[in-house]
Amino acid sequence: MSDENPSCPTPSGGEPTSTRSAAPMWIIVTTLVLLFLGGYYFDQHSGWFNPKVYAPYPNAEALGAYQPMSGDAAALARGKTVYESVCGICHGADGLGKPGQAPALAASELVITKGFNRLAHIPLAGLNGPIKVCGKDWSMAMAAMGAALPDDDLAAVLTYIRGAWGNKAGPVTGDDIKKIRAEIGKAPQVMTGDMMMKLPE
Amino acid sequence: MKTGISIFIAAFVALGASWCGLVLAPSLQLGGAKETVVLQSADHWPQQRTGDATLGLQVYRASGCAACHTEQIRQTGVATEVTVTGLGAHQPDDFGAFVKSLFILPTLVEYTNAIAASLQGWHGELPRTLLTSANQQVVSEMANRLKAIGVKSETRIVPQGDDIIARGWGYRQSVAADYLYDQPVQLGGLRAGPDLSNIGVRMPDANWQWQHLYAPKSVVKTSTMPSFKFLFEVRPVGHVPSPDALKLAADFAPGPGLEVVPKPEARQLAAYLLSLKANVPLYEAPFTPVTAVK
Ligand code: HEC
Ligand code: HEC
Repeated sequence: MSDENPSCPTPSGGEPTSTRSAAPMWIIVTTLVLLFLGGYYFDQHSGWFNPKVYAPYPNAEALGAYQPMSGDAAALARGKTVYESVCGICHGADGLGKPGQAPALAASELVITKGFNRLAHIPLAGLNGPIKVCGKDWSMAMAAMGAALPDDDLAAVLTYIRGAWGNKAGPVTGDDIKKIRAEIGKAPQVMTGDMMMKLPE
Repeated sequence: MKTGISIFIAAFVALGASWCGLVLAPSLQLGGAKETVVLQSADHWPQQRTGDATLGLQVYRASGCAACHTEQIRQTGVATEVTVTGLGAHQPDDFGAFVKSLFILPTLVEYTNAIAASLQGWHGELPRTLLTSANQQVVSEMANRLKAIGVKSETRIVPQGDDIIARGWGYRQSVAADYLYDQPVQLGGLRAGPDLSNIGVRMPDANWQWQHLYAPKSVVKTSTMPSFKFLFEVRPVGHVPSPDALKLAADFAPGPGLEVVPKPEARQLAAYLLSLKANVPLYEAPFTPVTAVK
């Protein structure tokens, strides 16, 4: 290249040269604003830091699943499990009953009673013959499905069916069940609907 | 010096940003930590130390114990156990047959070998752990099935990890709340000796602690822990021997007519060691205390 003739004409505008032109201002400003907003958002959430959560628990929800429940929450959860494994087969997990198998418990006038003496007698002694549930006549038989359950579990089930699916009746305790079980005695007699209605509510 | 001011500003911004990230933010997040509540009880955690134990922390620090001992229990996982606590009307044999009939359940497929092994050579001794799993659905399925046939069982949360299971150093991992009253915190970084987070539960006898500090080999034959004799005083026995005199084995005793008694520093150090307990379940580190199984 050294033998290039300097008198040859060069293209108009001369050789391209590099200049110090900066990136457009608006790109810089937008980037900074976005970075600031991102940082602010991250900071507001403390980087999703939770001082109560340690490895190996991935998040608060997983940790919550390992908390032993106490009091009402525990009884209700217990009641749901026992209901679903013992009563739900016939009465349905949704409490709506199953045609030809068992009547509804949701909104049933036998469940949402003020007292629970009659109600507790049903799973403890069994129920046989004609009854009326939500305006429908039933005449089937239910064995003493709750007689084998411990007091606390039966209480939890009854509390559950009195409070689930829109039912709004009060809770039942293990001691209540103990008393009623003692009244019924060792060899329960299966009740008919009429017998049940004669019991105090 | 033209660039001096910009170098200063750059250094200031860099150091300031790391100070914000490493000091300010953590102290905003954790600095306000307060006592928490022990799970399923109204007790608070941790308990404020006694005066002696608080001073003992300074002795611990001055003696360099943290060079060989940690105060941090690690946990690598958590499992839930189903333990049978009552067979109800069932006999061990028909209960075993019932459990085997559950093996067709899709949730239990992975666990059939382990469950079968747990029933091997079992003649009805209770409590018996049937199933250990990290999957709570599996555990509650098993517990519900047992419930339905009238068998009593308990589900227990069991933290996993070598510190807890193999070495038996604690019941659960250490969490920030455990250190609330430690000033400064003695985490330690090297484990020439065992972790001490729970030594107050493991070795609750002050005299043992003194013997061990005075002559580690007198209680642990192969111990490589240095002796801390300067925390003790050797003196002639008075009219009445001191009730706190160390009960040393003959090889380590100072000789006839002499007794070894702890100086105040040794008392404080022992009080501090006995105050080291991490044996209660907390929200952030749940477990089921062993006493729950009868
Ligand atoms: C094998 C199926 C079956 C199971 C399981 C069962 N029931 Fe029933 N239940 C029935 C039938 C059938 C009736 C209706 C009896 C009649 O017609 O006299 C009934 C009636 C009732 C009634 C009164 C009617 C109503 O709907 O309010 C209650 C309350 C009740 N059951 C509660 C329970 C509880 C609680 C359990 C679980 C412990 C349970 N049942 C388990 C079949 C069952
Ligand atoms: C050079 C390392 C070293 C230093 C420093 C040291 N230890 Fe140790 N420590 C050990 C070793 C190794 C063991 C295990 C052998 C034994 O039990 O003696 C041990 C065991 C212990 C134990 C018994 C733990 C158990 O679970 O049985 C206690 C308590 C203890 N040390 C307290 C202390 C105290 C307090 C100090 C400070 C005054 C201290 N150690 C300083 C190495 C050390």
